[in-house]
Amino acid sequence: MQLSRYWKRDIVILLVAAFVVAWANGDLEGLLGIPGWQSYTVRIINMCAINTVLALSLNLVNGFTGQFSLGHAGFMALGAYTTALLTMSAAAKDRVFFMTPLVEPLRKLTLPFLPSLILAGLVAGVFSLVVGVPALRLRGDYLGIATLGFAEIIRLVIQNARSVTNGALGLKGIPPVVNLWWTLGAAVLCYLMLKNLISSSYGRAFKSIRENEIAAQAMGIDLFKHKLLAFFISSFWAGVGGGLLASLLTTIDPVQFKFPLTFQVLLMVVLGGMGSLSGSVISATIVTYLMEFLRVVEETHYLGSITIPGVPGLRMVIFSLTLVLVVVWYPKGLMGDRELSAEGLKQLLARFRKAIRLKGESSS
Amino acid sequence: MRKTRLVAIVLLLALFVPLLQGCGGQPQGQAQEEEQKPTEVHIGVYEPMTGPSASGGQMTWEGIQLANEMYPEVLGMPVKLHLEDNKTDKTEAANAVTRLIDQKKVVAIIGSYGSSLSIAGGEVAKNKKIPVVGCSPTNPLVTQDNPYYFRVCFIDPFQGKVMAKYAYDNLGARTAVIIRNVQDDYAVGLANYFKQAFIELTGDSKSILAELEYNTGDQDFTAQLTQTASLAPDVIFAPGNYGDSALMIRQARSLKITAPFLGGDTWEAPEFIEIGGADVEGATLSTHYSVQATGTDVSKEFVDAYRAKYGKEPNAFAALGYDAYLMILDAIKRANSINPEDIRDALAETRDFKGVTGTITMDENGDANKSAVILQVKNGKFEYLTTVEPF
Repeated sequence: MQLSRYWKRDIVILLVAAFVVAWANGDLEGLLGIPGWQSYTVRIINMCAINTVLALSLNLVNGFTGQFSLGHAGFMALGAYTTALLTMSAAAKDRVFFMTPLVEPLRKLTLPFLPSLILAGLVAGVFSLVVGVPALRLRGDYLGIATLGFAEIIRLVIQNARSVTNGALGLKGIPPVVNLWWTLGAAVLCYLMLKNLISSSYGRAFKSIRENEIAAQAMGIDLFKHKLLAFFISSFWAGVGGGLLASLLTTIDPVQFKFPLTFQVLLMVVLGGMGSLSGSVISATIVTYLMEFLRVVEETHYLGSITIPGVPGLRMVIFSLTLVLVVVWYPKGLMGDRELSAEGLKQLLARFRKAIRLKGESSS
Repeated sequence: MRKTRLVAIVLLLALFVPLLQGCGGQPQGQAQEEEQKPTEVHIGVYEPMTGPSASGGQMTWEGIQLANEMYPEVLGMPVKLHLEDNKTDKTEAANAVTRLIDQKKVVAIIGSYGSSLSIAGGEVAKNKKIPVVGCSPTNPLVTQDNPYYFRVCFIDPFQGKVMAKYAYDNLGARTAVIIRNVQDDYAVGLANYFKQAFIELTGDSKSILAELEYNTGDQDFTAQLTQTASLAPDVIFAPGNYGDSALMIRQARSLKITAPFLGGDTWEAPEFIEIGGADVEGATLSTHYSVQATGTDVSKEFVDAYRAKYGKEPNAFAALGYDAYLMILDAIKRANSINPEDIRDALAETRDFKGVTGTITMDENGDANKSAVILQVKNGKFEYLTTVEPF
């Protein structure tokens, strides 16, 4: 019961923060999902939330269970295409599939967004079981290679199955249902679910598998069952994240889901700390925000009579430098395997205050 | 150590402060000022300046910059360009367009190289009701269902038809084999329309002997080519990247396949000839523009200015960027307004606009109705063969 109070506090903090940011930008409209297209800030917050879902879900497998999976982009692709095909109207489908018509049951089928999103997660989850049953017998790098290969297979199938996915032409006209309620809602739900899971007996089993598989087995933990469970939940949320992304962009194509996408999510996980949920939230937000913020350095600046021409690509340089610095200072990621909690923040503040007081005393 | 960490955290947090200030009150204040007294015309550009398509984006940007230098004013106001890099990434393309519209308050946008990037950016522009002129996205889906997207290039269906007509009329071909890159929306589109047009011209549904496929980055095309050799077609239509295609043609020649190879505008790169060497001699492609085909004053002015500024021969993408900029300026002049809605209406009514790459008339989809140029590799150079008018 003690823990659940902290969760509530976490959610309240998260929501208040989102509201303050949106209000400060005069974008309450976009935040509340009132008609009118979403602004730049709301768009960034949406991306932060979607990336949070993706980073959290990858962290469950890579950080908590210690299984090195690189198949995230594949599961996202499955989720994105499922959502797209289920939510697009029949008319939009006919227009987009102008070369090869869409196969019949899918052509007429249109579902509301929520069931489509859940189905997207389930499709990704089911495929994760298909790949997980053989692949999770592997360990370490071998599992990474197997899952990476699987993700590429999914992408190639999508590219070639023109009567279902429109192949390389991609899809457009996916209904833009997503607003901050959806993205932040999914992020909070994912966070809560994983937090619950991690602190349950399953979570302890995941961690024991990460620490030492043989010891875990000796303690009576069914390795295969637990690995598969973690993989399923992780892929489910990857599918949901992909579905949200598809609806936010309203267009998807297979090239989007190449392996660099997996690395981008992996970067967030490692940066935030393998095995820290709040770390993933923080780093997903920072990485997403930083990439947009750094656009400023690429612009042409006028300082009186001096003109500093913008250099495209400079933000990548600065971003990489920031990464190097973070890795130097925080070799285990920003949070390591610790969690951010209201209690911890309080302690940090108290320590901070004490330090200032001590400094004040010593100088006086 | 603890202090350095604290400094790091404070620095990171400081990064977030401009978000609150930068996107908040300031631009809104600016916007109000501009509504009272517009002093500058803001035009946005989103192109892949980094990532896999960087070369295409940079060539286009060169053309746009040149046009801006030569025609820096419209309606007595200076035109200011704002460039955003989209990293050859769909999400970034959508973000870039949102930023241009929300923060830079642009009235029109130019971009982007790469059709999938244009589709993602176009959806944002459509919802914010800002007109966009694409330079080289040739996928029909870009302007479909989007009244705010226009383009100065022709589309894949037209290019496919042009090559089918050329093969039938000029080469006297009656049978063809298609070898396409299945990963590339462009190649798939071209191949599809080549097939349709060729079958229509020959009146024989079996005139396309085979449709073979490969993937980007494939090194070995022996399987596809052996099958092609056994079918002995009159021509081979092989749309794809310059690198893959050049490699394929080399292998075809070493397998003693003598049928001519036809392709699309992506072949027009120096690397195509570098990789292909003597084997790509005679390869024929359709493209948007050729220096040798120039006749009008507009193209002469462009070619001279481009040579003077960059010291090299202009390419099709620079020419298209140049045309996109001038077409927007033309629309602003005709609309006599910098209201995005007025510019959109004027763009939609573009008739017989004299551009570098040809005379452009907008059709009801916002696609340019214009001529294509056919080039052939001769003595290690792209030589101009003929111009095909729209039909």
